[in-house]
Amino acid sequence: MDKLLVSPSPHLHAKTSTTSLMRDVVIAMLPAVVVSVLFYGWSELLIFGVSVASCVLLEYLITKYLLKRPCTVGDWSAAVTGVLLALNLPATTPWWVVLIGAIVAIGVAKMTFGGIGQNLFNPAIAGRVFLLISFPTYMTDWTRPQGFIGNGLDAMTGATPLGMVKEGGISAVADLDYLDMLFHNIGGSAGELSALAILAGFVYLLVRRVIKPYITLSILATVAIFSGIFWAVNPAEYTGPLFNLLTGGILLGSVFMATDYVTSPMSNLGGVIFGVGIGVLTMLIRYFGAYPEGVSFAILIMNSMVPLINKWCHSRKYGRA
Amino acid sequence: MTQTIIWTIAILTLLGVVLAVVLYLVAKKFKVEEDPRIDEVEKVLPGANCGGCGHAGCRAFAQSCVEAPNLDNNFCPVGGNDVMQKVASVLGLEVAAKEPMVAVVRCNGTCEMRPRTNEYGGYNSCRVKAALYSGDTGCAFGCLGCGDCVAACQFGAISMDPATGLPVVDEEKCTACGACVKACPKSIIELRNKGRRNMRVFVSCVNKDKGAVARKACSAACIGCGKCAKVCPFDAITVENNLAYIDFAKCKLCKKCVAECPTGAIHAVNFPVVNKPAAPAAPVQAAVPAKEAQPADQPKAKEE
Amino acid sequence: MMKTFSIGGIHPADSKISKDCRIEVLPLPSKVFISMAQHLGAPAVPVVKAGDKVKAGQVIAEPAGFISAYVHSSVSGTVKSVGPRKDIAGNNMVHVEIDVEGDEWADGIDLSDKLVTEIPEDVKAILEKIKLNGVVGLGGATFPAHVKLCPPPGKKAECLILNGAECEPYLTSDYRIMLERSREIVVGAAIMKHVLGGCRTVIGIEENKPEAIRVMSEAVAELQKSAKGYEGISVMSLKKKYPQGGEKQLIDAVMGRQVKSMGLPIDVGAVVQNVATSLAVYEAVQKNMPLVTNVLTVTGDCLPADRQHNYKFRIGMPLSYVAEYAGGVPEQAAKIISGGPMMGKAIANPDAATVKGSSSLLYLTAAQTVRQAESACIRCGKCADACPMGLEPFLLNKYARNGMMDELEENAVQDCIECGCCLYSCPANIPLLDIIRIAKGDVIRIIRGRAAQKK
Repeated sequence: MDKLLVSPSPHLHAKTSTTSLMRDVVIAMLPAVVVSVLFYGWSELLIFGVSVASCVLLEYLITKYLLKRPCTVGDWSAAVTGVLLALNLPATTPWWVVLIGAIVAIGVAKMTFGGIGQNLFNPAIAGRVFLLISFPTYMTDWTRPQGFIGNGLDAMTGATPLGMVKEGGISAVADLDYLDMLFHNIGGSAGELSALAILAGFVYLLVRRVIKPYITLSILATVAIFSGIFWAVNPAEYTGPLFNLLTGGILLGSVFMATDYVTSPMSNLGGVIFGVGIGVLTMLIRYFGAYPEGVSFAILIMNSMVPLINKWCHSRKYGRA
Repeated sequence: MTQTIIWTIAILTLLGVVLAVVLYLVAKKFKVEEDPRIDEVEKVLPGANCGGCGHAGCRAFAQSCVEAPNLDNNFCPVGGNDVMQKVASVLGLEVAAKEPMVAVVRCNGTCEMRPRTNEYGGYNSCRVKAALYSGDTGCAFGCLGCGDCVAACQFGAISMDPATGLPVVDEEKCTACGACVKACPKSIIELRNKGRRNMRVFVSCVNKDKGAVARKACSAACIGCGKCAKVCPFDAITVENNLAYIDFAKCKLCKKCVAECPTGAIHAVNFPVVNKPAAPAAPVQAAVPAKEAQPADQPKAKEE
Repeated sequence: MMKTFSIGGIHPADSKISKDCRIEVLPLPSKVFISMAQHLGAPAVPVVKAGDKVKAGQVIAEPAGFISAYVHSSVSGTVKSVGPRKDIAGNNMVHVEIDVEGDEWADGIDLSDKLVTEIPEDVKAILEKIKLNGVVGLGGATFPAHVKLCPPPGKKAECLILNGAECEPYLTSDYRIMLERSREIVVGAAIMKHVLGGCRTVIGIEENKPEAIRVMSEAVAELQKSAKGYEGISVMSLKKKYPQGGEKQLIDAVMGRQVKSMGLPIDVGAVVQNVATSLAVYEAVQKNMPLVTNVLTVTGDCLPADRQHNYKFRIGMPLSYVAEYAGGVPEQAAKIISGGPMMGKAIANPDAATVKGSSSLLYLTAAQTVRQAESACIRCGKCADACPMGLEPFLLNKYARNGMMDELEENAVQDCIECGCCLYSCPANIPLLDIIRIAKGDVIRIIRGRAAQKK
């Protein structure tokens, strides 16, 4: 360099960037992706392909031709939305439904607000909820397609455990094997298949310091405590804590969706409030609502509270105790 | 069914009426008594809320005008004399006409004249850059080129010239509100008298270094040699801290100093190419905008 | 549990490449340029003129106010000129230019390296010596030392903290003096302790310098055994975390107390001095040696191992002279920094002269230091997690860009210590500190203006 560079301090920068963080989130989701593809086969692979490709392409087209801004697909955030959306859909979803979900997620929930960093709602959840309301039949078809492995397993087909409870009361799930659920055998969306795969992603995110544990743990603790109280009072009517933690999208939602930077509070205390809110809303919907599952709705509702929570919760300042 | 509809309509209507009454009462109770002249004055103001007058906006200016005993301390630089006349007539006060002004960039350190000595890598803001160091050229006084003035201008009258790296003032759009003057951390921009037929002579440099140092940093710098001051027949030029300054109130636009300046730091703008003050200027150059053809000493208020 | 400050902080690689390089003495150049602004506060007023003969250690400028300091000639020779010269930022500052002739020292300066352990009794005389010998804080802010050592009436120092944290990456000058001048530093600490009325004294050193911790502990133990006035001095090992050496952070770590917003350390009974300042105090009081030398590190990843140095320099030597003596500026260097990479200043003018507070010539490559393009804030909150003052830089950035002064003050922008943690950790490369620093200045001006109006 022939001329000296001059700039204000600091002169060094951490290695993390938006791109590296988003890439880490994708890596953290890989175990769940691999498990779901292994068990659900080609059709699941197609869903991932369509979802990620359409999310990335849409973001590219919108930034380039509609907003006429520098393109932001390089930061991997669209890919995160794509993978997350696919993890939120049943394995039998037709490809065009996935495409519509991607359009809503990127086109409506993300880019209309101004793109990365500006969106109020988590794009993937907005996409999923739109599909759930618009295409309820596709979105609640839990038939398990031909997978690469595990076809001989005693799998629950046709309904999720939560759906079974809604339909047939608590006795319908009396003989569930929790160990099975931990590994690979939860009926439902692709990402709900294996609790262990998601927990592996959670550990990875924590180790890489991508997220802090407050939001996830407060959601899980709230769900456990809330359901524990109801279960203790009336075990014949209400499902127990372990069942509620392992079924449905609570793990997927609390690890990957509620922790989305943009749509979650920034302070630790705010994160806890946010998590407790999601936990309570989820359980209210599960126990008393019309839908068997409420994580997505709970997260969306709490997303809308984030600006308020951010306004109330500030970090602890030095010398102002 | 019908009954439901009727009830719905009835309840909603009732609700509407009740709320309207409440709103009316609240508005009545909390009404702020204000001098009606404030509204009238505000109406004749440009409404740009630029803050050039020193007040928070046009309404605050209007209030200040109404409350003050005279208009000596209040002037709307955007509206100029015309608007102030209107304000005066609304309030029944007298106002003295002010000379129209324009923002002038006093730095000619273009990329060729003032070679770069280092590269700035921080946030693109003159304030940040000025707080850090003297700038990326040898001249510690000159334009930093980050365009804080451009951002400060509410009228789109300043733009950066990519070829020179210096800001350019669009005289048509400039309202002399002074926002750029405040924004410039190096105090390079000055509000100067617009001058007869927009003709102005000024020193386009603010470098206070000794001549040799200044010239080494920038070949267009004022070196404080004082030749201009000696040649000026009207005592309009002072040299202080190695820097010449032309008092626009005294300058008679004779341009003797321009010819004398060894570095070309003194600029004369908007002079017709044929130097005959009486001759009509317009036909000389097609490129010169129509303003040159305006005969008046007071150009029309810019309302377009 | 090792002690550290309680809020925020970051962990940059410490890169102490030059830590094993012994301090070498730089030979005298033919000319020195001694700046009048080598301390916080008003620039000193020169008392010599062109043509004067000066000796090394002779006063050449006097303080121009309460917060100001004496400046001494670092060499013997003839004053060539007194006038403006560009400092490292390229701004004009009055410098005294001296042609070096021989190396003759002023009378009354003890040039021997015999350790003087006996601490003088008279506090006033000690303070006068510190003041007359131009001692300023060498931890970065160059605040006149004697001012800090005189607590305002009604306030009492409870703990003197010696800052040996050297938390900035790359810098090793404090580390080297702790190894090579440990006993002198301890004597300096004991002198300051005596001045402050015999309070507890803690020498805080980051854990990544075990050798310094060992050597300093030994020096303390040895002096406590052999001389009087050294009780109550201890060495404390601190966790490696930036900015451990920040004054407010150090007080939090060592004493568990926090200085109030806009307050001074003495409000919580703390006085913080750098280890290099302690050495300068020793020299000034025991040897009557003015502050005309200091140690600086020449380092950088782009320098080979045999070109890393720690130099003892005389103030006023041009930085370019130091760089040249050390083998020239490396080809890959894109930026030269005086000070650490987190808070140091990028050098715009390599011909500028060294000053009392110069601590390094750090060469950074373009890959290390060129800022990436700014992208949108993803609200990750990493800046708030990193801020050691518990501020929310993302918020301050937004308020500052919109000129919202009241909100800035409410959110404590005035408490910012400009450590750079926010900008360092921002994944979107938003120039947070650049913007916050300006806003902080504005808000502090507003606060001061308001306070002045009240009076």
